[in-house]
Amino acid sequence: MKKSKFTSLLAVIILILLVATGCSSGNSAATTTGTGTSGADKTTSGKLDKVTLQLKWLPQSQFMGYYVAQAKGYYKDAGIDIEILPGGSDIIPEQQVYNGVANIGVTWDSSLMKYQSKGWGLVQVGQIFQKSAMLLVSKASSGINSPKDLKGKKVGSWFGGNEYEIYALLEANGLNKDTDLKMVQQDYTMNQLLKDEIDATSAMTYNEYGLLLESGLKESDLHVLNMNDAGVAMLEDCLFVNSDWIAKNEDLYVRFLKASIKGWAEACANPEAAGKVVFDVDQSVSLAHQVYMAKEVAKLVVPKDFDPAKIGYMDMAAIQQTADLALKYGLLSKPAVISENTFTSKYWTKATAK
Amino acid sequence: MKSKVITILWPLAFGIALILAWQFGLFHKVLDLKPFQLPVPSEIASTLAANLPKALKDCGVTISGALVGMIIGSLMGFMIAAIATFFPKWGYGGMIVVTALNAVPIVALSPIMNLWFSTGMEQKIAVVTVVCMAAMAINGYSGLNNINPYSIDLMHSVAASEWTIFKKLRFPNSLPYIFTASKINIASSIIAAIISEYFAASTSGLGFGIKDNLRKAEMAMGWSYIVVASLAGVILYCVILLVERDALKWHASQK
Repeated sequence: MKKSKFTSLLAVIILILLVATGCSSGNSAATTTGTGTSGADKTTSGKLDKVTLQLKWLPQSQFMGYYVAQAKGYYKDAGIDIEILPGGSDIIPEQQVYNGVANIGVTWDSSLMKYQSKGWGLVQVGQIFQKSAMLLVSKASSGINSPKDLKGKKVGSWFGGNEYEIYALLEANGLNKDTDLKMVQQDYTMNQLLKDEIDATSAMTYNEYGLLLESGLKESDLHVLNMNDAGVAMLEDCLFVNSDWIAKNEDLYVRFLKASIKGWAEACANPEAAGKVVFDVDQSVSLAHQVYMAKEVAKLVVPKDFDPAKIGYMDMAAIQQTADLALKYGLLSKPAVISENTFTSKYWTKATAK
Repeated sequence: MKSKVITILWPLAFGIALILAWQFGLFHKVLDLKPFQLPVPSEIASTLAANLPKALKDCGVTISGALVGMIIGSLMGFMIAAIATFFPKWGYGGMIVVTALNAVPIVALSPIMNLWFSTGMEQKIAVVTVVCMAAMAINGYSGLNNINPYSIDLMHSVAASEWTIFKKLRFPNSLPYIFTASKINIASSIIAAIISEYFAASTSGLGFGIKDNLRKAEMAMGWSYIVVASLAGVILYCVILLVERDALKWHASQK
């Protein structure tokens, strides 16, 4: 008797919980549809347009420009209520933006080209990183001084689309990625290289290379193969949107881009402060690492001899090289279509017009 | 005979209807999906056919890791159950530890095993071993101890040793329980192996294939790996069922 009482109590509790969660998810759905219809009317009425930005990775200085623009109120000044969604290993920006979870996404050009080639209606609308940050790092003791020395070694990559610069590096140097060496999946630490489980590891200049230095290794202990030097660089962090969304929100996106460029310009001019801004948002890594990352990212966004006023500029030749490499080394099965519908700088031109 | 045909025909018809509905876009309509988000069965089948050698090789890697891990895990689980039976005073502690281990999620276990082992295969076997231990320990313990009191009284009345009781009474009694645990373990070992491959330091296996292809917008390829994984699971489950039918026929006749 007692037992059945307990069971019925449990059933009632579960029922209440179900109803409660059902209601709350219903509410959130209602709010998102509400904001979706908000017009382009800006600050005059005091009503802000909601924009959701999906990052490719965790909140870190890689995305400092957006965080600085948010912290300094540049989005608010442009009439935008910004929400920045963190990414993760199994959060795919292309899918999030296509499904409408986010309006604008940050991804790598090569990955975006792959989705576009499969029919996803996405369009690239701004190139934040002008250079590739991908490195292949090994310990100096393992004697990998040129790509050819990778023969017979264990080489790490994160895969999921991040492996194609490495493939390009290998094949451009006459190595077969399947037979001449062993590619392994690496995790998001540098432990496999530190423990000598792999000979060379993929590393981003702004993140993992810094982790290696922070772990006590000196630059002289490491040997670096840089994709830019090897002529196999593919473009990384760019902005993209859903084609249907941009058709209705052109003005909103231009305002977003303008505010973002302002944030990026300020972040690159003063990476120390930008690192601190990001650290205040998310303490998952140390302040020192955020600042290190901010300094390295600044070099990618505003490389040497690059006019800071041109942040976000789309270098069509570099985009074409990314497309060519992606096709040549197997990411794409047919040439990427680079047109106004897939890669367009018209919003950037508007955002940077005086 | 007629009823047997019907019990096969109904599920078969249902399955075919499901695949047809999928193929002709019913799910796409209901869930508002595009074919590049959810590929149709014919595309999955043709992708699988084109990549069959690679898919089978990856399947072999996953299944061999799952089976080795399951055998090691089951043996260890049964040993823990036997120790708990022979030395109830302190041996039962092992059971509690195993039950606690069972609660550790595979997604937490996999990165830990990555730190302990350097190759993908070792890591996979270790994850599967841990996952398979608990079900076998708990079921094995029940089988070794849920015995007819008269039978154990009879054993004691003829002064049988603990070892004889184990051999003649407890172990045969535990066989149905062992098969129950094996059926649980075969499914969970494949799941554990696939999830561990998401994190493993290797580029082979079904888990890596599913994750990598779904990230790279190769949805049809990802789905063909999913199909291979579920087929492998069904086949292995059937093998266990057949072995059980044979082994328990013998057991039932002894009773």
